[in-house]
Amino acid sequence: MWWSVDLFVVKTMSKRPFLGLFASPATLVAISIVAALLAIFQYSLRAYVPGSLRPGGFTIENFAVLWKPMFRKAFLTTFLLCFWTALLTLLAGFPLAYAMVRSKSSLVRGGILITSLTPMFLGEVIRTYSWMIVLGKQGIINVCLLRLGVISEPISLMFTTTGVVIALVHFTLPIVIIMIAAALSHIDWNLEKAAASLGAGRVRIFFTVTLPLATPGLVAATSTAFSWTFSAFATPQMIGGGKVQTISTLVYQVGFSSFNMPLAASLSLAGLLFTIAVLTLFNVGMRKIEKLGDC
Amino acid sequence: MSSDHQSSENVSARPAVQIDGVTKSFGNTPALEPCWMKIKRGEFLTLLGPSGCGKTTLLNLIAGFLEADNGELFLGEDLVTQVPPHKREIGIVFQNYALFPHKTVAQNVEYGLRTRGVPKEESRARVKEALSLVKLENFADRKPRQMSGGQQQRVALARALVIRPRVLLLDEPFSALDRNLRVSMQIELKEIQTKLGLTTIFVTHDQNEALSMSDRIAVMSRGRVRHVGSPQEIYEHPKDLFVATFVGDTNLFRARIESSEGRTRLDIGGRKVEISSEQKEPRDLPSAVIVAARPEQCSLTSVESPDAIPATVAVVVYQGSYVELYLECEAAVHGRIMMRDVSKSFFHIGDKVGIRLATKGLNIFGSEQEIG
Repeated sequence: MWWSVDLFVVKTMSKRPFLGLFASPATLVAISIVAALLAIFQYSLRAYVPGSLRPGGFTIENFAVLWKPMFRKAFLTTFLLCFWTALLTLLAGFPLAYAMVRSKSSLVRGGILITSLTPMFLGEVIRTYSWMIVLGKQGIINVCLLRLGVISEPISLMFTTTGVVIALVHFTLPIVIIMIAAALSHIDWNLEKAAASLGAGRVRIFFTVTLPLATPGLVAATSTAFSWTFSAFATPQMIGGGKVQTISTLVYQVGFSSFNMPLAASLSLAGLLFTIAVLTLFNVGMRKIEKLGDC
Repeated sequence: MSSDHQSSENVSARPAVQIDGVTKSFGNTPALEPCWMKIKRGEFLTLLGPSGCGKTTLLNLIAGFLEADNGELFLGEDLVTQVPPHKREIGIVFQNYALFPHKTVAQNVEYGLRTRGVPKEESRARVKEALSLVKLENFADRKPRQMSGGQQQRVALARALVIRPRVLLLDEPFSALDRNLRVSMQIELKEIQTKLGLTTIFVTHDQNEALSMSDRIAVMSRGRVRHVGSPQEIYEHPKDLFVATFVGDTNLFRARIESSEGRTRLDIGGRKVEISSEQKEPRDLPSAVIVAARPEQCSLTSVESPDAIPATVAVVVYQGSYVELYLECEAAVHGRIMMRDVSKSFFHIGDKVGIRLATKGLNIFGSEQEIG
């Protein structure tokens, strides 16, 4: 299990002489994050004073406002975006990662690595802008489908959830491929050879050996994909164009268009708790499934 | 290694494994030169050689993890050259055991029975039987990581045996164990193998393992099988210098062959040594030869003896039941000779001594051969 590996790392590190020195930058980062979270926390419990950037007195009104249909809808949209993106990224990333780790040809391995990694070096805005060109009414997808006669009228991908998911999958793919590849590369080839010698064909080997052993990596990759998508801002903002409201875009709108900082803070906090809750449930569920597979 | 392989019509005489001119190369590098071998039913055959000699390649070819470039491979009656590994019915024990970490001991052993669709009850009984064979009945519900190296080794063996394989392949299975455990596992494995009458191919680079366990040994080097024979043949009558030096300790002397009046003598460093007539025909050999003498074929004598090769004691190592002596000797190929002095007489560094070679059983090779 990957969480026991983490514990192992912590245990062995406590015996290292330079631990304090190496840990100090991490401590600085941790302190800043905790401080920022505390600031958001205290903002979320202050009243909004219209026309002023300074918050008023103590209130829990902000969290009550979050129950309004607009915000509930944003939570649902965000969840669905994250869900579909994580699922599709996993489905697209696994075969690519598998080919990257197992291919005998260095050309295939290198090709996958380069094509999957280069998008990481472009910013989210640039990548999203490219996707706007691809997804638009005059974009490559529509032009191709029209010319081929598959569709008679351009399909709308811009300003739709589908369009946002497509761009988000591309945004999330590199990190997922890397994480799955890391998990796969730790699986001993001899295990698959042993399974073959015991009479298992390729499909059986995949489902009884490779997949179970890759599961911790897949869970980690899916969790990461989920939280990356959750935190994505430029993609839903530019491709959704206000028609697809996620928690990030709403936080921006509430905080920087309406200047309602307390509400933006409470929304951010609610979003954070939401992600933690979803990922905890996911992990607990996966652990249960793994236990089931044991017997 | 005989090339007089039978025609394929003569089916009834097939051995458990028959390798007919199988070759394999990776890119332009030949990993296995054409190889002919027959392994009898119930035989324990060891592929012995240094790393890179092709022994693991041959094992992988037999298991089906590699495809032969040329030649044919038979398991019993069946031609399996093109058969994928999961249909070959071969049991393998890997060097790192390759136990499924996410499965319990019983599930590991059961795996090969599930792939074969063996009914639940029969499968349970066979798993139990296999685990009791390796004395692990009480560990069925453990995970591999909760077990010691020796125990994991037994699980791997049980997993390979439970499917009643046609051939058992062992890929350096003992190299990760400490010395005492290794010896007891060797004895146990040999016992089980004999009891089941299982055809076994064992890969190792450890000559002691090979000598103590095998019915026959195939010594390999640079993708070629150098010598196939019983441990005794390999040790006492090695086919070439590589085999002589790779298996067992050997002292090599540069020598010239002199034949006169029907008698053959060796000239080693100016001293004349008689050799018995059972030796190879001297006329097959060049006049400059290398004499290979096991430490037990060398004895110590006075440096003044006319037939003794002069040497100087360089290192004395006390080994309990005997004393190991390393001697500097000009006639030796490496300048050094190793001897075991059972009498434990006191020699000191710098002592001048004479080495007398046994007159029988010395092996003589042409001096251009590869040394292992």
